Amino acid sequence: MIKIEDLTILFESFKIMNLNIQIEEGEFHFLLGPTGSGKTLILESIMGLRKPRSGRIWIGDQEVQDLPPELRGISYVPQDLALFPHLKVKENILFGIRARNLDMKTHEEYVQALVAVMKIEHLLDRYPAHLSMGEKKRIALLRALAPRPKLLLLDEPLSGLDPSIKIDIQRLLKNLHFSFHPTTLCVTHDFEEVYFLGDEITIFIDGKVEQVGKRDDVFLKPKSKQVAQFLGAKNLYRAKVLKNEGSFQRLILAVNGLQFSIPLSLYHEKMEVGKEVDLFIRPEEVMILREGKFVKDSLKQNIFEGKILDIAGKERYQTVYFQTTLGKILFEISIPNYAFRNLNLSAGKIVSIALRDESLWVIG
Amino acid sequence: MEDYETMSFRYTMIGAAVCIFIFYLALILSLFYFVGGKGFWEALSHPYTLFSIRLSLMAATLATFFAVLIGLPSAYALSRFNFTGKGILDTFLEIPMILSPIALGAAFLVFFNTPLGELIQTRGIFFVFEVPGIVLAQFATIAGLTTRLMKASLDEISPRYEAVARSLGSSPWQTFYRVTLPLSFRGLIASVILSWAKAFGEFGATVTLAGAMPGKTETMPIAIFTALASANIDKAIVLIMILVGFGLLILYGVRLTGKRFRYD
Repeated sequence: MIKIEDLTILFESFKIMNLNIQIEEGEFHFLLGPTGSGKTLILESIMGLRKPRSGRIWIGDQEVQDLPPELRGISYVPQDLALFPHLKVKENILFGIRARNLDMKTHEEYVQALVAVMKIEHLLDRYPAHLSMGEKKRIALLRALAPRPKLLLLDEPLSGLDPSIKIDIQRLLKNLHFSFHPTTLCVTHDFEEVYFLGDEITIFIDGKVEQVGKRDDVFLKPKSKQVAQFLGAKNLYRAKVLKNEGSFQRLILAVNGLQFSIPLSLYHEKMEVGKEVDLFIRPEEVMILREGKFVKDSLKQNIFEGKILDIAGKERYQTVYFQTTLGKILFEISIPNYAFRNLNLSAGKIVSIALRDESLWVIG
Repeated sequence: MEDYETMSFRYTMIGAAVCIFIFYLALILSLFYFVGGKGFWEALSHPYTLFSIRLSLMAATLATFFAVLIGLPSAYALSRFNFTGKGILDTFLEIPMILSPIALGAAFLVFFNTPLGELIQTRGIFFVFEVPGIVLAQFATIAGLTTRLMKASLDEISPRYEAVARSLGSSPWQTFYRVTLPLSFRGLIASVILSWAKAFGEFGATVTLAGAMPGKTETMPIAIFTALASANIDKAIVLIMILVGFGLLILYGVRLTGKRFRYD
């Protein structure tokens, strides 16, 4: 297990205070934060290139914050990859094994397995200057994994890639993690990347940890408005608690005169009448009701009528901009293309929407 | 098709470059006017001429060796680390470039007349009007330049390579010779060659500190000066042509190094 305790880094305008991260063996942990929030500084401190003001770093049973980088057993893949241009691909890959004086025979099988998974057999005798960006990413990952590090640090591993190559490398990372289980800490600002790859996520904004948790918990239940906004949450409204119907286990919230019924079981905080909260409605969980179709009881709690203002097509889904008749609240609704085709929607059309209980999240 | 303005701009710029080329070429070609006379061959085979060639080669090589020995680590420190006094140290590297070489030589003469200087001379090596004085004067002239040129080469290498090498298990020393040195090799070699050329042609500081004694401290530039002073044009021409020959060889060497050791 990797444990980072109360890490404090002060560098130029960056102030990172009391950072705590815990990574289980074999976990793919993401440190997700906006660009320029000091994520690379954190990696450099963990690696030993930068001395933090205070804090402790544990790798397994060993406390490493006072050790030089070469004795920490951490491999690092920087954003610009830094493949050694004077060495062939093969020599780049074996660099860590040779530098750590590891037994080549015991590592041979493992390296060969990595080479096979990465599909780079034909590149071994080339110099990095003659590789494509995607190939360079593969070699940099392989070089980092070859000496079997106790922790793999990745700095924005999918940045600067064309979309098609990005998907390729994303799949490769998933495949590598599934096959070899390296304990990994990856910093990024790209939450799509995190959604595809992450087990655990630490959300890091303005020098402090805002939320830690499993991927779905963080994305579906952000703890603060700041986290929700950073994760690109749509349909975020300021609401007031109107009623707390304890006997029905429901909470009634009002947004601009429009009332929402929320299941109370999800919240531990006291939701007193009159309290101001943030209501987050997930765009992909909003249903547009088809005329004359039967509506389940579970959906009847939150049904609103309104007008479609606009429709914008994206790769695999359509975004429908909808405004309620009462309260004039604007919703963004995401509908997969296959479902959209059956709905016969157009701008200006009056429709009704229903909110599933799972689509609603209240930030207290 | 280029318009008139673009063409006139282009030809003005290229014209300026051609002018510089013609200027230096004419200067070199004018030397050949005197080549071939009886005095020319005598001067070429004179023992003092051969001595000054040997002395210049030896002194410049030694001065460059010492300049690299101290310049490379200094350049690395200035390129990679932040430390107190870094700015002052960096400024001091330029002293030999702004100070007249004769002033530099004179400063050495003054120094060797201080108690510390006298102690060095009596208990250690004699520098004033001696061969070690030539090496010292040339070293003083090029050390700052060598450091500055090497720093520029090291600055071009991203510290990220070193960071990755360290994370993969290399110590700072191993990282230096397995990663930093090979990556900056092209620039470092060019720095060494240019420093050597500068030392080889050094005159002012050398003549002030070591004097101009034929067969003892007379390097090639000094020999050229004394030959001209005594109206021995043939000897001066021979020595100038040898200097030009070495200079062109060195420039060719720098260009060749530039082509090799490229990894991009």
